[in-house]
Amino acid sequence: MSTRDEHELKYQVTLVELVDRVLNKGVVLTGDITLSVANVDLVYVGLRLLLSSVATLEEQRDRELHPVGAQP
Amino acid sequence: MSARHEPVDKILASGGDLGRIASELEHVPQAFPRRVNADPEQVERGLAQLVLTLVELLRQLMERQALRRMELNTLTDDEIEQMGETFMKLEQRMQELKEHFDFEDRDLNLNLGPLGNLL
Amino acid sequence: MIHLYGLVQGLDDLPDLRGVDGAALERRRIAGLDVVVSRSTRELGEVTHDAILVHANVVEELMSRSRAVLPAQFGRAFTSEEQLTEAVQTKATALERGLTRVRGCVELGLRVLERGSRTDESTGLSGSDYMRTRLAEATERDRFSQELHGPLAALSRTSTRFGGASGDLLQAVYLVPEEQIEAFREHMNRIEGAHPELTMVCTGPWPPYTFADDREESHERSA
Repeated sequence: MSTRDEHELKYQVTLVELVDRVLNKGVVLTGDITLSVANVDLVYVGLRLLLSSVATLEEQRDRELHPVGAQP
Repeated sequence: MSARHEPVDKILASGGDLGRIASELEHVPQAFPRRVNADPEQVERGLAQLVLTLVELLRQLMERQALRRMELNTLTDDEIEQMGETFMKLEQRMQELKEHFDFEDRDLNLNLGPLGNLL
Repeated sequence: MIHLYGLVQGLDDLPDLRGVDGAALERRRIAGLDVVVSRSTRELGEVTHDAILVHANVVEELMSRSRAVLPAQFGRAFTSEEQLTEAVQTKATALERGLTRVRGCVELGLRVLERGSRTDESTGLSGSDYMRTRLAEATERDRFSQELHGPLAALSRTSTRFGGASGDLLQAVYLVPEEQIEAFREHMNRIEGAHPELTMVCTGPWPPYTFADDREESHERSA
């Protein structure tokens, strides 16, 4: 791989990691969500909420199946 | 766009095929590129992607749950055999569908922000 | 519209930078907390490449000038000063705690991809063999992933490991005290040397985006 490609790739990885952090992480106060979102995104947003709750349910059930000490 | 804001690279360490990581990661900040790609031509494929993502998610959730129960020895040999056959068939069918719509595994992954990728 | 960059501790002067939409950076003192914002006349915050980078750049600069920064998620804004004040006041205790948690630390991210694709020759297997193969794969994956993660977590104040993503053997973020960054890097190089077959990338140091919010506390594993 040429140095230039390598540099380009590193930059690309950095950029993606950065965008992921800025958009998906960070502290959330109650402010309004102001992103303008296309319809397709709304479906995904809803799906994400659904899937988050599926994951939470799974965790809960795991805890019930394998109670590891008392929950704080 | 001012070049001033372009970040410098922040790779602390890396090994192996960085290109593979880059292409995996391209799917991460979905809220960003998807807006640009939301043209009607893409809707049908987008819908198939959405449905297959869900199916793949459920398949993997079920398989994981089954493996967990296997570990806990709460399944009989017959049950393990039947489940194995079912999951194998599901996996093969899923593979055919992926090929039909020309999706790769990573196309059927959902990034859940703080939860990471679900699959 | 008020755009929030984050909360800071021990910041002398604001960086000489323009914020999103070219607006000037301002700071507010709310409930004993130091808040960095900018005001814009625009009604809707568009997600543009440039706006994201401006936000990230401001947070970076705040990070280099403060003792602690709690970065704010992009894409939420306040319509009035009252709304901002109320939001900060409501969460003041948690925010204070968050600043204490991240003080003196940076965030490092790690992704390690699976070593080759898993065995796909499931044709001809019996159902039971298939399940046993899958179980063995999953167990080995967990074991190896923990072997990589453990020592890195020990160098961190706290860390979060994300659920097994397909293709990702390990995906984790570490909140690392600044004086441990070098040790962390050295350990990464050791892993790289010991496992040339792995594809991995460690990024950072980042402002502690992933450890900024309370919701992460439930994911924390103490080192």
